[in-house]
Amino acid sequence: MFTLFYGLYKYLVQKDDYCVLIVGLDNAGKTTYLESAKTKFTKNYKGMNPKQITTTVGLNIGKITVSGIQLNFWDLGGQEELQSLWDKYYAESHAIIYIVDSNDRDRIPESKETFDKMISNENLSGIPLLVLANKQDIPESMGVREVKPIFNKNAHLIGRRDCMVMPVSALTGEGIDEGINWLVDCIKRNSDVRPPRNQQETS
Amino acid sequence: MTSSTYDPDGGLFSYFRNLLGGREMRILILGLDGAGKTTILYKLQVGEVVTTIPTIGFNVEQVTYKNLKFQVWDLGGQTSIRPYWRCYYSNTDAIIYVVDSADKDRIGISKDELLYMLREEELQGAILVVLANKQDMDGCMSVTEVYQALGLDALKNRTFQIFKTSAKKGEGLEEAMDWLSNALTSRK
Repeated sequence: MFTLFYGLYKYLVQKDDYCVLIVGLDNAGKTTYLESAKTKFTKNYKGMNPKQITTTVGLNIGKITVSGIQLNFWDLGGQEELQSLWDKYYAESHAIIYIVDSNDRDRIPESKETFDKMISNENLSGIPLLVLANKQDIPESMGVREVKPIFNKNAHLIGRRDCMVMPVSALTGEGIDEGINWLVDCIKRNSDVRPPRNQQETS
Repeated sequence: MTSSTYDPDGGLFSYFRNLLGGREMRILILGLDGAGKTTILYKLQVGEVVTTIPTIGFNVEQVTYKNLKFQVWDLGGQTSIRPYWRCYYSNTDAIIYVVDSADKDRIGISKDELLYMLREEELQGAILVVLANKQDMDGCMSVTEVYQALGLDALKNRTFQIFKTSAKKGEGLEEAMDWLSNALTSRK
C-alpha cells in the first residue's frame, strides 16, 4: 500500500528528468554556455565570472527546470585527447548541444570533422541535436548563415533526427533561451524513443 | 606559485583576517599510500618539497590561497588505515584525490577506494579534484587514461576536474587550486 501511494506521490511530484550533453572543441565556450544557461534558468544563481573559467578536464554539471521538466547538463572537456571520452555519455543523453567557436575560422574544419564523427555514433541516432554558433558578441565572427551550411552538409549522417543551428553568445546570454526552448520541445517529442531518466529506473 | 600567496605562520594578523574573511574551507587530501599526498600538502603550504615518511594518522595544516583559507587534512593512505578516512568526512567542502599516475598496478584499487568514498552520504556535496600526480615519471598514465582507469566516466552527478601534477616539481598545483577556489566560491 505504501508503495502504491509513494508511487502516486512520485508520479505527481517528480519532474521528468533528461540529460543534455554539451560538447565541442576546446575553447568553444561550453562551460561559459553552461554557466550562462544556469544563470538564466535558476533564480538567485549568480554564475561564475567568465574570466575565471578555465580549460575543463573533467565534468561540469548543471541542473535547470524548464517547462515542467528537469534538464541535467554534462559539460565535458573538448581537448583532442578528451574527445575519446565523449561516447561514454552518448547512450544516456537525451539531447546534444554542440558548440562551435564562430570566431575561430581556422578550426572550423576540425570542428566539423569532430562533429561528423560524433553524429556517426549509433548511440546518438535519433537524438535531438542543437548546434550553436557561439561568440556572436564578437563582430568579426561568422554569422549563423555562414555556419549553418557547413554543419548541415552531411544530411545523410544527420538523418531524421531534429537538428538546428542557432546563433548564441554564451558571454552575453543572447540566444540561450531560444536554444533551450527548442531543445525542450524536441526532447519531449522524442521521449517515446528515449524516455526520461526517472521512468527508465522505475520501469 | 609565489611565496606571497602563502601565510604559513598564521599569527594574530591572520586570526583577525580569518574572523572577517568568513568560514575556512575544509579540504581532505586522500589517495593510496605513496601517491604524494603529504608532499602536496606541504608544497601548498610552504611552497617547498619536504622529505616525507608514510603518514600514519594525519597531517593538518592551514593553507591560504588567494585570500581563501583552507584547512587541509592529509590522511594516511595505507590499506590498514583507509577505513578511518570516513571519520573525517563530515563538513568536507572538497576532496583532493591524489593518484600516482605511474602506478598502473594499483590504479584499480585506487578506483575502488574512490568510488567507495563517493558513495558516502556526508560527501554528496563535496567538490572533487583529482590530481594525476607524478607526471614527471616516465611511462606514466595520461589524464585520459587516469580518467578511464578511475571510472570517472560513470560519475555523472558530480562536478569534478582532473589535473596533471608533479608535486615534486610543483607543476599543476596552481591550476588545481585556482579551479578549486573558483568552484568553492561560486557554488550555491
